Amino acid sequence: MNAWARVGREVLLALRNTGRALVMLGEAIVNIRHVFSRQNRYETIHQMFVSGIKSLGVITVVALFTGMILALQTGLELRRFGQEVNIGTAVTVVLLREMGPFMTGLIIAASVGSAIAAQMGTMVVAEEIAALEIMSINPVRFLVMPRLVALALIMPFLTMYTNAVGILGGAIVGYTQLGVSFTAYFDNCTRFAENKDLFVGLFKAIIFGVIVVTVACHQGFATTEGAVGVGRSTRRTVIIAFLTILTMGYFITRMFYK
Amino acid sequence: MIRFEKVHKRLGGRVVLDGVDLQIEPGETFFIVGASGAGKSVTLKHMVRLLTPDAGRVWVGDDCVSTARGHKLEQIRSRFGVLFQGAALLNWISAGENVGLPLLERTNKPEHEIEKLAREKLALVGLAEAYDKMPAELSGGMRKRVGLARAIITAPEIVLYDEPTSGLDPVTSRAIDQLIDSLRRELGITSVVVTHDLHSALAIATRIAMLDEGRVVALGTPEQFIKSPNEKVQQFLESQYITKRGAWEKAAAL
Ligand SMILES: Nc1ncnc2c1ncn2[C@@H]1O[C@H](COP(=O)(O)OP(=O)(O)OP(=O)(O)O)[C@@H](O)[C@H]1O
Ligand SMILES: [Mg+2]
Repeated sequence: MNAWARVGREVLLALRNTGRALVMLGEAIVNIRHVFSRQNRYETIHQMFVSGIKSLGVITVVALFTGMILALQTGLELRRFGQEVNIGTAVTVVLLREMGPFMTGLIIAASVGSAIAAQMGTMVVAEEIAALEIMSINPVRFLVMPRLVALALIMPFLTMYTNAVGILGGAIVGYTQLGVSFTAYFDNCTRFAENKDLFVGLFKAIIFGVIVVTVACHQGFATTEGAVGVGRSTRRTVIIAFLTILTMGYFITRMFYK
Repeated sequence: MIRFEKVHKRLGGRVVLDGVDLQIEPGETFFIVGASGAGKSVTLKHMVRLLTPDAGRVWVGDDCVSTARGHKLEQIRSRFGVLFQGAALLNWISAGENVGLPLLERTNKPEHEIEKLAREKLALVGLAEAYDKMPAELSGGMRKRVGLARAIITAPEIVLYDEPTSGLDPVTSRAIDQLIDSLRRELGITSVVVTHDLHSALAIATRIAMLDEGRVVALGTPEQFIKSPNEKVQQFLESQYITKRGAWEKAAAL
């Protein structure tokens, strides 16, 4: 096979997989109507707990340092113009619009996404998915839908948490490194940031949650060849989810800020 | 009840089923034996369309399962209970909840009733105490039996067992044999059992088929099976000390 044929083949495969993943997502969305049925309600809450609470530790550290770095970088520049008090705005706007949902999305992709892919992959290998099908239990309704609902609900909250911790990190750097008092900082934070910044960011967060679940479940279900295959699905999930979050993040930004 | 018509299947680049013809009658306890990798599990999976033939067809009653889709497929599958080779229990719910899962999903029975039925089935497989245990806390043989309880809780017409007694001690194995046999005698359930355990097969089978390299090389009642002139069958029998000359005579001669 020559190089062009191979590229063409890869592109076609990617398109086919995207199509299949979207079909699965559609099926999961249709099945949201069963979210309160006796089979599903605990599962959704459980998934929210697993994906939310368990990621809080990492998110805290990442958010804190993201805010601190943002404050330091912009603060050093702004200080040249005697404007260091405006780091509040800089940190807040960048976090709300972009970095908050983006960092949260990446962390969730790496932690929750890889875990979902590994679990689904293991279930395929252990014939548990086949067993569900025999019992006429739709794996999309039983496994994908609760995770989808859970992440779509929890992502905005996680992102708000990231934003809050990041802004706090900025305040600490502002106070210790740049001599900006807390009152001046927080006053500055709320002065220029708009509600739109927050809501677009939270909208992004929901989309990123949906991306992570879709990619992870699709890759997990497509697992073949035993334990090696599970490893491959997990790795692919993280890579594909990263890339999709990055590109979708750009397009959503462009959609709202022209 | 179940009919294979010249079923061919390639998997991973090699021929696994090479024109399998089988006819399993209602109320039979039909055993499929054969070496590891002979295609026994693959054969079972064709009966519930976890696999689709490359050529040929599989019939369940009057329905062609190999081409069924959607609601029709669901309807065919609902006639089956399946015990997978690895039990295939969900590991985040307890053994008892695993057993009750098909009822929770398929019926509107209240949960306390489902629990009662699940406990009954667990008792039937000798695991009355295991209801609240998680699958990871159970031994391989116990998981198998939980899988068996799950396979029969919906009172299916046909039960497929993939190695129901592998990994079980001989006493429990015979108890499982008796359970399978009683399902046939008391409820008229059709069973298809894949096994390496010829003692089970000879004790409770109505007929035995031997698979080798993707073909049925011998087929008949236990009596006919033992007398089969096929070399593979005789090897298989001798490997478990079952010979025409009698097991003990052979053992004494060693
Ligand atoms: N999904 C698959 N992809 C590729 N090859 C497969 C697949 N499933 C089964 N095979 C191959 O088909 C052959 C038959 O497999 P099968 O599981 O039916 O064996 P078996 O008779 O059940 O053996 P055992 O007694 O060890 O369970 C094996 O060589 C196996 O490698
Ligand atoms: Mg097998």
